[in-house]
Amino acid sequence: MKNTCLFPFLALLLMAVPAVAHFGVILPSDDIVGRDEGRTLELQLKFIHPAEGQYMQMEKPQRFEVYRGGQREDLLPALKAESFKAADKNTNLAYWRAAYQIRRPGDHTFFVEPTPYWEPAEDKFILHYTKVCVSAFGLEDGWHEPLGVEIEILPLSRPYGLWTGNLFSAQVLRKGQPLPFAEIEVEYLNEAAVGGKLSFPAAPFVAQSIKADGQGVFHYAMPKAGWWGFAALSDADWKLQKDGESKSVEIGAVYWVKATDLP
Amino acid sequence: MKKVVSLLLMLGLLGAVPALAHKVNLFAYVEGGRIYTESYFPDGRPIKQAVIKIYTADDLLLQQGVTDDEGLYACVIPRFVDLKLVVRASMGHQTSFVIKKAELEVGR
Repeated sequence: MKNTCLFPFLALLLMAVPAVAHFGVILPSDDIVGRDEGRTLELQLKFIHPAEGQYMQMEKPQRFEVYRGGQREDLLPALKAESFKAADKNTNLAYWRAAYQIRRPGDHTFFVEPTPYWEPAEDKFILHYTKVCVSAFGLEDGWHEPLGVEIEILPLSRPYGLWTGNLFSAQVLRKGQPLPFAEIEVEYLNEAAVGGKLSFPAAPFVAQSIKADGQGVFHYAMPKAGWWGFAALSDADWKLQKDGESKSVEIGAVYWVKATDLP
Repeated sequence: MKKVVSLLLMLGLLGAVPALAHKVNLFAYVEGGRIYTESYFPDGRPIKQAVIKIYTADDLLLQQGVTDDEGLYACVIPRFVDLKLVVRASMGHQTSFVIKKAELEVGR
């Protein structure tokens, strides 16, 4: 009897896990720009389930910026909408692209604050503050600086030049303060897979789950080359209106890092 | 034997760290008919009082100068050909940076 009761419960869990893992994405064409390389970065902004390749409609973000050398540059005007037909959807969806010319050395942290996404299945809004850092010309001066946004992941490991298997360590900050015991989901960006797409023998492999320590610090060793996303999730202490009703807002801090195989 | 290997490994590691921290970097850009250079270590410290030389692609020396205390050096474009800039810091650390003729033309 126990087994019979467990089975539907487990099946429900298996179905539920992928739906949890929404990720904002900033995907740059390169994570390290050297002196002998092209200086134009192509950036894609998406809202997806990265491991499973399911896409959500992304409205024009509220903020899209790059931080370098303590300076902020607004990149919102550079965004261009792209429409595409997702395999799992009947209608066309939008994501966003921008080209950015690297002009000076230093860490370039790209940041996006999307327009809140209404998720009817969860009866709440989702808002993922997303970051990625691109290194330029050997000046490694800013990857460990917080941006001071609502919630963010602050790398403790330099977030580029990482080998496959390296431990990525970071801290979750909420309003600039460590978020104790934050919950972090980790997913592989399968659309940019290196050496073949990841497949998943069971649902728990889709999104890895980590609990940070009392200082909001977490660690993860990336087992495959490619882009890995880290999403620290929390609930906002404010609400948004939907059809005249106040609705909860899930806020997430997302950070993307690239692992590279040893030559 | 294990101890010797560990010691050698540790010495190797200790030896490797300063080499990275002292890695010399050079970046240059062109604006208003001048070449601007920045010389720096990875953590942003400037490379002060370092000699910068500007060569043609076939190593003809065109221009030479010294970085200031902010690691900066600028000069008028010496010739509209592909240029190789070389900065030499103390202890023999040096690096180079190439500016293509096309970039010089844009920044003329």
